[in-house]
Amino acid sequence: MSFLISRRGLIGVAAGLLASTALPRLALAAGGRLVVAADSEPRQLNPAIVASNGVFFIASKIVEPLAEASFEAGGLRPLLATSWEGSEDGLAVTFRLREGVLWHDGKPFTSADVAFSALEVWKPLQNIGRSLFANLEDVETPDDQTAVFRFSKPTPLQLVANALPVVSAVLPKHVYEGTEIAANPANAALIGTGPFVWGEHKPGEYYLLRRNAAYWAPDQPKIDELVYRVLPDRAAAANSLEAGEIQLAAFSAVPLTDLERVSEVPGLEVVTKGYEALTYQLTVEINHRNAHLKHLKVRQAIAHAIDRKFVLDAIFLGYAAEATGPVPANDPTFYTPEVELYPHDVEKARALLDEAGYPAGADGTRFKLRLLPAPYFNETRQFGDYLRQALAAVGIDAVIVANDSAGHQKAVYTDHEFDLAVAPTVFRADPAISTTILVRSGVPAGTPFSNQGGYENPELDALIDEALITLDSGKRVDLYKRFQKLVTEDLPLINVADWSFTSVASDRLRGLASNPRWAVSNWADLEQEA
Amino acid sequence: MLREILRRPEAWIGGGLLLILLLVAACAPLLAPGDPLAIVGRPLIRPFANADFPLGTDRLGRDLLAGLIHGARASAAVGLAAAAVAMLLGATVGSAAGFAGGWIDEAMMRVVEAFQIVPGFLLALAFVSALGPSLWTVVLAIALGAWTGPARLVRSRVLSLREADFVAAARVMGMRSGEIALRLVMPLALPPVLAISATIVAGAVLTEAALSFLGLGDPNAVTWGRMIAEGRNQLRSAAYLSMIPGAALALTVVAVYLLGEAVTEVLARKRRA
Repeated sequence: MSFLISRRGLIGVAAGLLASTALPRLALAAGGRLVVAADSEPRQLNPAIVASNGVFFIASKIVEPLAEASFEAGGLRPLLATSWEGSEDGLAVTFRLREGVLWHDGKPFTSADVAFSALEVWKPLQNIGRSLFANLEDVETPDDQTAVFRFSKPTPLQLVANALPVVSAVLPKHVYEGTEIAANPANAALIGTGPFVWGEHKPGEYYLLRRNAAYWAPDQPKIDELVYRVLPDRAAAANSLEAGEIQLAAFSAVPLTDLERVSEVPGLEVVTKGYEALTYQLTVEINHRNAHLKHLKVRQAIAHAIDRKFVLDAIFLGYAAEATGPVPANDPTFYTPEVELYPHDVEKARALLDEAGYPAGADGTRFKLRLLPAPYFNETRQFGDYLRQALAAVGIDAVIVANDSAGHQKAVYTDHEFDLAVAPTVFRADPAISTTILVRSGVPAGTPFSNQGGYENPELDALIDEALITLDSGKRVDLYKRFQKLVTEDLPLINVADWSFTSVASDRLRGLASNPRWAVSNWADLEQEA
Repeated sequence: MLREILRRPEAWIGGGLLLILLLVAACAPLLAPGDPLAIVGRPLIRPFANADFPLGTDRLGRDLLAGLIHGARASAAVGLAAAAVAMLLGATVGSAAGFAGGWIDEAMMRVVEAFQIVPGFLLALAFVSALGPSLWTVVLAIALGAWTGPARLVRSRVLSLREADFVAAARVMGMRSGEIALRLVMPLALPPVLAISATIVAGAVLTEAALSFLGLGDPNAVTWGRMIAEGRNQLRSAAYLSMIPGAALALTVVAVYLLGEAVTEVLARKRRA
């Protein structure tokens, strides 16, 4: 008997321990707390330094950019900036800033914060800003609500505007000034102007964000507490949704194979909208140093060997579209379908390889290649398995080399120890942000998601450089259409699929997918019905 | 002794199952010709629904039966090779330590202990992560965690045999120590190692499956562990993708343990007698 009592006591203690490490218990009205699945815990949470979707997913609720992407014409919704205007010569962009905005510590937001962020953070430290703001010379602040960006070379307003949602997270100058910015404690406990205030982070368990009562937009946000539950196991996200423990899983946290089943669960809905400005492309990266892959005909043969329809059906289960070139078809501005297409044609691929001087050997094999599928997504790994078989069908023996994330990045982007690689490249609303770097020559080794295949094409380089200083939007668009044509003709890389994410959410949520970068936007308008 | 072992029912069951596995592994190219990773049909055909693919197809349309057959080959090859390497290494180190004695013995046994305190699976994980996954690194990685058992066993047998009366007699008769070691001691020291070989094989098959499951197997070969891992993503919608190779793996391990059990039992009785 005493044993039983002590065991019960133990269970009580254990339950107490569990409860203390579980989410903080607070009496909140239904609809007050939103629990979201998070599949990773970024080491560095500062969105002004690391402009990546993994960081934005959490940090964009706290630290806001100057403008956010929008489905409306023009593609942008003002946030911290209310308007922006470029000068005739393309050497200046003037931002009018929002009045009455307060930092989470109560200090007012002014143009000095924007100037500090641009000159001290975006330009020298940020992964994307380093190239985008390379020509930024100075930011003038004639008054508290005006910031004038001065560039040393003409910079198209269209590019600056398209990049704003990604590159322009504004940091508080009074917190960061005079400190080592990359090591500031506010990089973990963020201070911003956004609709949610930093709460706490328990590693391996959750992030807690609270409502910002002093947010500049009236009646927003509509959620009292935002909790990111850390669920690295993808199967766990689906189960937690079904159990009602979480209300939202974004960025395809629920595996594609489970979507059909989950979509029939009452109370849950599958949402495919809200990722239009973060389209990923499934891309075959090519090492042009390889003697075989130097031949255009070999690259064309590889492009013809891939059955894109099969890839969409079997790997993406229909949640993707065929890619025609380096710009995804859902981009409203730059996309052109008038490019060189490579329909699935095994016979033609074989003929091209024959013409290139690679007859099939006795066992049907022409030559051997190393194939490195990026390990970041199930889809990239599975496509690697598929590509191996698709190439075998035309006589190319591709040997898969498997690495972890760090090993893969080192092998492909630093050591160039690959022949073919499978990469999830990202198109971010403008080809100049993260697309042209995939084919431009002269990118230093070690830069992830850049041209590390040693591809050099002076014509393409000249076009990329010209577009960077072309101010007229129409001319810029034409240049990038020509860029797509050139890329598909010469195949520095092969774009296979345009692929977007899905969210699974409770059907009590209102305001889902309200903009084309929704998962990484600030969620000020998100509402949860009781 | 073989007759005694074969008299035991568990030896029959275990041995029979293993024989089937080895036959399947040996005849894999005949039973399922061609590349087992080839995409041959519609994706996700259920088992027993299509005569061409009796066990169905996976998410890319690869024949599950072909994968199972060629996976048996990989499992058997890795299991046997790893066990052979482990036993060879263990027997060499163990007998050397046992015969040499003194500080050589001390030093060798400290090395054995150093390997023993690290869990074998962790050792294998580290080894494969460092050298990159391929069939041979996997074999070496598994052997690295399994050779210490045979080493200690052989050493202890050698130590006790070396002091036995018949060895002393041989020495008095003027037999050279090399001859004593090879002709008198080793034949008596090795059988117990063969007895634990069965469990080493079973352990190696399991470790290989676990490594493949974690994505550290050879990515260009079909193995059961890899099939289970790939099926895991579809566990809720197509459980057969993991269950079929999982069942094959469980059956193999049970078979090896049954046979090992029979051998150990017979050997133990012999020693008592």
